[in-house]
Amino acid sequence: MAVRERSSFHGADTQFLDPAVLSRIGNLELLARTVVDGFLQGLHRSPHLGMSLEFAEHREYMPGDDIRRIDWRLFARTDRFYVKLFEAETAADFMVVLDISKSMSFGTHTVTKLDYARYLGAALSYFSQKQRDRVGIATFDHEIVDYIPPSTRHLQRILHTLVRAQPGRPGTLRDPLMRLGDNLHHRGIILILSDFYEEPESVIGAVRHLRARGHDVIVFHLLDPAELDFTYESAASFRDLESGTMVPIVPDELGDEYRALLAQHTAELERLFTGSRIDYTVLDTSKPLDYALFRYLSSREQMARVR
Amino acid sequence: MSLLAPLFLLGLLGLAVPIIVHLTERQRRNVVDFPSLMFLRKIPFRSTQRRRIHHWALLSIRALALALLVAAFARPFLANTEVAIGSTLGPREVVVVLDRSYSLGYGNRWDRAKNQARQVFQGLDASDRASLVFMGRGAEALLRATSDRDRLLAALDTASLSADGTLYGPALKLAQTILEESQFPNREAVIISDFQRTGWKGDEGVTFPPGTVVTPVLISDDATPNATVASVTLRRDFFSGQERMTATARVVRRGGDAPADRTIMLEVDGQEVQTQFVRLDPTGSATVTFEPFTLSDLYTRGSIRLGSDALAQDNELHFVLSPGRAMRTLVLEGATPRPDASLYLRTTLEISEEESFQVDVRRSTSLSAADLAATDVVVLNDTRFPQGATADRLRGFVEAGGGLLLVLGERSAWQTGLDEFLPGRFGPARDHTRGAARLGYLDYTHPVFELFSGPRSGDFARARFFRSRDLEMGPEGRVLARFDDGSVALAERRLGEGYVLVWTSTMDAFWNDLAVQPVFLPFIHQMMRHLGGYRERVPWFTAGQVLDLADPEGMVFVADRDRELAPDVAQVALTPGGGSVALPATDGPRFLELEEQGFYEIRPPGTNPERPFAVAVNVDVTESELESMDPAELAAAVAPRETSGDLSASGELLTPDLQARNQERRQSLWRLLMVAALVLLLAETAISNWISRAATMRFEDGRSYVQST
Repeated sequence: MAVRERSSFHGADTQFLDPAVLSRIGNLELLARTVVDGFLQGLHRSPHLGMSLEFAEHREYMPGDDIRRIDWRLFARTDRFYVKLFEAETAADFMVVLDISKSMSFGTHTVTKLDYARYLGAALSYFSQKQRDRVGIATFDHEIVDYIPPSTRHLQRILHTLVRAQPGRPGTLRDPLMRLGDNLHHRGIILILSDFYEEPESVIGAVRHLRARGHDVIVFHLLDPAELDFTYESAASFRDLESGTMVPIVPDELGDEYRALLAQHTAELERLFTGSRIDYTVLDTSKPLDYALFRYLSSREQMARVR
Repeated sequence: MSLLAPLFLLGLLGLAVPIIVHLTERQRRNVVDFPSLMFLRKIPFRSTQRRRIHHWALLSIRALALALLVAAFARPFLANTEVAIGSTLGPREVVVVLDRSYSLGYGNRWDRAKNQARQVFQGLDASDRASLVFMGRGAEALLRATSDRDRLLAALDTASLSADGTLYGPALKLAQTILEESQFPNREAVIISDFQRTGWKGDEGVTFPPGTVVTPVLISDDATPNATVASVTLRRDFFSGQERMTATARVVRRGGDAPADRTIMLEVDGQEVQTQFVRLDPTGSATVTFEPFTLSDLYTRGSIRLGSDALAQDNELHFVLSPGRAMRTLVLEGATPRPDASLYLRTTLEISEEESFQVDVRRSTSLSAADLAATDVVVLNDTRFPQGATADRLRGFVEAGGGLLLVLGERSAWQTGLDEFLPGRFGPARDHTRGAARLGYLDYTHPVFELFSGPRSGDFARARFFRSRDLEMGPEGRVLARFDDGSVALAERRLGEGYVLVWTSTMDAFWNDLAVQPVFLPFIHQMMRHLGGYRERVPWFTAGQVLDLADPEGMVFVADRDRELAPDVAQVALTPGGGSVALPATDGPRFLELEEQGFYEIRPPGTNPERPFAVAVNVDVTESELESMDPAELAAAVAPRETSGDLSASGELLTPDLQARNQERRQSLWRLLMVAALVLLLAETAISNWISRAATMRFEDGRSYVQST
């Protein structure tokens, strides 16, 4: 179960990864640099991954594999067919897909979900830029609001887009992501930042469209602690940020069932994403960004392997 | 129970506020923005949970406490505790004034009224005294200042409704007298009535003695639809030599919501003559005319009966009729009259719808005893006055009740001895030189001119008089009319039981033109009726009236005194209810109280004449108007002066001391309510704390479970 999974990464100096600290940094580029450099410094590992055609391992030939990747030398020695697996190739397209629907403006901690998504988007864009990837961004609510195609020179525009992204309208996933998939002609890595307040089948239907076009998709499900714990005490009218409708709620009576439903929702999303070979991570916006960065790097590392 | 500050009851509306707020889901002050209600909406149960009231007991306690607080602020007080309180202060003198007018016969009012009186008597202590006064148009103290409760209750049980109307004055005056005679410190007057406004004049002058508690007990109904036979008009006419009566009844309906069809029946001598249907609108009236019936017998009894309703007494009206008797008039013209000297007079008397006059014109002045016996009025029309024995017979005739009209003309001549016969001494004829004289003065108080006293009821001023005889009035004469020059036109003198009238001008168109004026006919008729002692028979009396059978002046309206009610003959009156009233022979008055509705039959005891003298008695129709007055108004009017300004809501009046104590006692309810409210609030505090604590523990358990998950 991915919900409330704790970071198992240790060693990085998380002082500059805490959202409460990052919220004091007004410049998003400085923020991204602080995050990435601080994170990678603590990682003690080269940031340049997949920069060459480096052999990784052999795997037994399976019907359907490209016969050009058969290692004939090994066949000569072992009389068996093996194919070579290499590290990822050079610069890929990295696309940040940011949900800026009204629900993303929610936050009971020091930052909102959108702020947290900004930090992540900026940091990972900066990180990808440093890896000489082509970076782009698309923001959407019920339609695509801003779209910057992937390019090695678009980091400033991306940061600028992130800064001025304002939540205001209700959002959906299907139409924007379908349209985005149609616009992305090169396969790349797509990072989706959203709170996914849609039925799991609808979510996976939209995201699977990107996956079907050959993109590697990484999904960060952003949730505020209040959404995760539902720690409200007094009875109140709860107003849906997107629709504006109000429902009288007695948290004492609803908390358990709400949490169960949320857990059921995230579990279903995880099951569906995993089934589609999409990395899915639930992020608590009160936690430092290190876990998200680590998950991203892990995903990139796995994606870099060519199967 | 009443309230001193009833507006505080508006505070009860506050009970609904928390419930409405709770149920209408409108908590605008505490709104929490949440990213999405996607999951919360999947829990519809919570919405109903939200609307459901979980702690009914708590809500009930709170609502009850609030209601009690509101009630305490409204200052409730008991309205009918004076009698009970008074009983603890010493012996009481209680006067129960019980209305037994026939309007109490509406529905079950009479039983309710007696029950109220019974409750008062049953609530008496051994030391108390009570009186029972019946109220009608008069008053009757059935029991006076007695402590015998059994007698009071027995008297109440045997009491019955009367046919009387309502008049508050006599009964209240009697109650006042009883209370004033009492030495008891506590005096109470309990007035049990339907408090009809028609019986209250406001100037009864009744004031109960100081310290009297007045308790009006209203016996009423929400709606009082009632139909009444208000009146009957009886018209005589002659057809083929028979006298016929046509009865026209006026029926009045008060109250009701829709038109109602009722039957109305005419009975004559107990036999149904005709039945009709009449449609009565709510608060409307209708007139029903029955077919004429022949009237041939004395004392014919008739009744108009309307279909029954809640008040039966006013649905029938009885009358007694006898055939009319024509007034015989003998006109004497003398041996050589002017031509047609009596033409107008005779014609006028012959013109009568009811054929109430018989005219005989003779050219002679001789009068035999037989002539006078068959005559009611003698007219000497411009002729010499009889002399000798004829004059004596004429004088005897007048003194026995006959009438004499002397019409002066050219042939009239003064004779010796007429001074004792006529109202004055007449002189020679005199022409009115300054044009024609007119009648300038009429004594409208006299029966002859009483008919013309109203406006547009006869214009004598149009008649012109050219010549008349002077009349020098004697000491016993009375001038009834004068010409505008002051001379006498008509004068009267009473002789014994009869009257002598002198008309100083002619009764034709020779000396005046009165005979061709419209007023001539009614004037002559009135004059003849007056002289003949004619009295319209009274077809019925009203219950409560008293008939003096020995009074000829009164009885002339109902019976032939000579035949029926000789004073030296004992009589017995049979009442409509079957009782009898002895009327022994006496020189003094013989009173018969007409108390019951129906026919009274009066005859010598032991006899059974075929058609005895009878009178009809009907209820007073004003009593059938059932509109009630405010009992407090009556109570305030009869209250002791020093407390007249202090009326309770029910109209009861107290002495200042008793009132202060009663007020304190009656208004002390608010303290009890306040204490009860405080107790409930304390209980509510304890219960809500307990519930809150339990809920907190449950909530904390829930939180720890989530966090550990």
